[in-house]
Amino acid sequence: MPDKSDKIRDVILDSISEGVFTVDLDFRITSFNRAAEEITKIPRDKALGQQCKDILRADICEAGCALRQTIDTGKPIINKPVHIVDAAGNRRAISICTALLRDANGRVIGGVETFLDMTTVEELRKEIEASWRCEDILSQSHRMLELFKILPTIAESSSTVLIEGESGTGKELFARAIHSLSLRKDKPFVAVSCGAIPETLLESELFGYKAGAFTDAKKDKPGRFALAEGGTVFLDEIGDISPAVQVRLLRVLQERVYEPLGGIEPVKADVRIVAATNRDLSQLITEGKFRQDLFYRINVVKLKLPPLRERREDIPLLVEHFIARFNRLRNKAITGVTDEVLASLLAHDYPGNVRELENTIEHCFVLCPAGIIETRHLPPGFRTSVSADFSKEAGPTNLEQMEKILIADALRRNNGNRAAAARELGIHKSTLFRKIKALGMKAKQ
Amino acid sequence: MKIGIPVWNGFVSSVFDFAHQLLVVDVQDRQETNRLEVSLEQQPGPQRVAKLVDLGVDVLLCGAVSRPLASVLAASNIEVIPFVSGPVDEVLNAYLNGRLAEPRFLQPGCWPGARRRFCRGWGRGRGHGWRGGRR
Repeated sequence: MPDKSDKIRDVILDSISEGVFTVDLDFRITSFNRAAEEITKIPRDKALGQQCKDILRADICEAGCALRQTIDTGKPIINKPVHIVDAAGNRRAISICTALLRDANGRVIGGVETFLDMTTVEELRKEIEASWRCEDILSQSHRMLELFKILPTIAESSSTVLIEGESGTGKELFARAIHSLSLRKDKPFVAVSCGAIPETLLESELFGYKAGAFTDAKKDKPGRFALAEGGTVFLDEIGDISPAVQVRLLRVLQERVYEPLGGIEPVKADVRIVAATNRDLSQLITEGKFRQDLFYRINVVKLKLPPLRERREDIPLLVEHFIARFNRLRNKAITGVTDEVLASLLAHDYPGNVRELENTIEHCFVLCPAGIIETRHLPPGFRTSVSADFSKEAGPTNLEQMEKILIADALRRNNGNRAAAARELGIHKSTLFRKIKALGMKAKQ
Repeated sequence: MKIGIPVWNGFVSSVFDFAHQLLVVDVQDRQETNRLEVSLEQQPGPQRVAKLVDLGVDVLLCGAVSRPLASVLAASNIEVIPFVSGPVDEVLNAYLNGRLAEPRFLQPGCWPGARRRFCRGWGRGRGHGWRGGRR
């Protein structure tokens, strides 16, 4: 028979909206509140006396039991995200906290775990994240989100697309997204890095050759256009192609036919061309290095990808994405980066754009065995650039200072126009005003 | 016949979805002929099932299992006896002798119809000797 104090304890626990259970030192459940029943879908009478791992059924129960850690170390664990399988067979996301349970004499007699059902929060988070994703591209910058909006319409058309953007901004990802969203998605996507293939070989690589076209051409070889028949050809670094190849490409675009080397019959090409460049094609035209007529043929629909330094709000999102990806690939359990590391990453200019950020995180993964990525795990360039930036500021590196730098940068780029700066930073202008005031920045910054 | 049991510290792992180790036991004429342990670490649900299929597992004795994963297991023609709990050798012995329905091997909180739906022969064999299905 439960005594009066047990009843009072149960009433108190049942009034809490979080799931709560306590265990003894053998990890057997000694109390289990109503919210815990609702989340786990296991009635209290079935849960009491059972091993907590058989009731909570969380992904951490066996390899990294939070309660065991707390009982062993005496340190509480706060808001650890875990997944459970409830008695109805549903996977649920919960957030747990643990603490020690002591008797009147201060002796440890077990542990207490509280947990909150995060399923709705998780669903909302996924919904929001889905709006930040277009195929394999991830961004919450307003400039990229505008591109995401028009991408399906562009993909549906059969027009030639020119993607402009610095190296590492994700031109090939966009090209692949256009292909995947188009009616040609079941046909091949063939990527050709024009700059990586020697000029003399590019022509035969693109259009193929017939047997006997030159010495050693013993049999026909299909070119990339033939391999991509019905699909999409992605011509990366199109600004690097020679005038001779430009002429042949112009013919493909104008007449939709080409001739393999050594061939006499023109071959029809049913391919969509997506071209990309990190160079200024108009400048190349002025210099006489790129044909104007070819430029007009490929410049039907143009997408301009912003460099990472102009969409810094994506950096935390991308860092999280790369950490999750490398955790999977390297079989590690890195939980995140420290505020200082995030500040360093936000302060960098990224001439290599997203690729550089990805490589930086990979570098950190090599040096950081587990836990959280710290400043010492960053490549040397990052550490010095940040310390130089922050040497201007008094006091330690923190997010507040980073915000100050980012806001000042955005204001400077937009000639002090706060509305434009707020747009660039992806925040409302009133939020920007509030931050400027709170950070004690001067109006002219 | 091959029996798969997700294990942890000598006990049946509490959730198949999150189990790290799998014990695969070869059985012939109700006698164990061979056993090996393989890692399931870091493998998402469908890959876990694919691993079981690759290993030729016919029957899976496990703790809790999520509905989606249970459906994939059923579609892969693996007989599942879920919500099993207890020391591995005792569970295996009980299964081979048709005693797995004893309350001490039952994990609390079994979703309705789980055993009826995923284990052919469950219940019929209660206390009546071998009902392990395929041999």
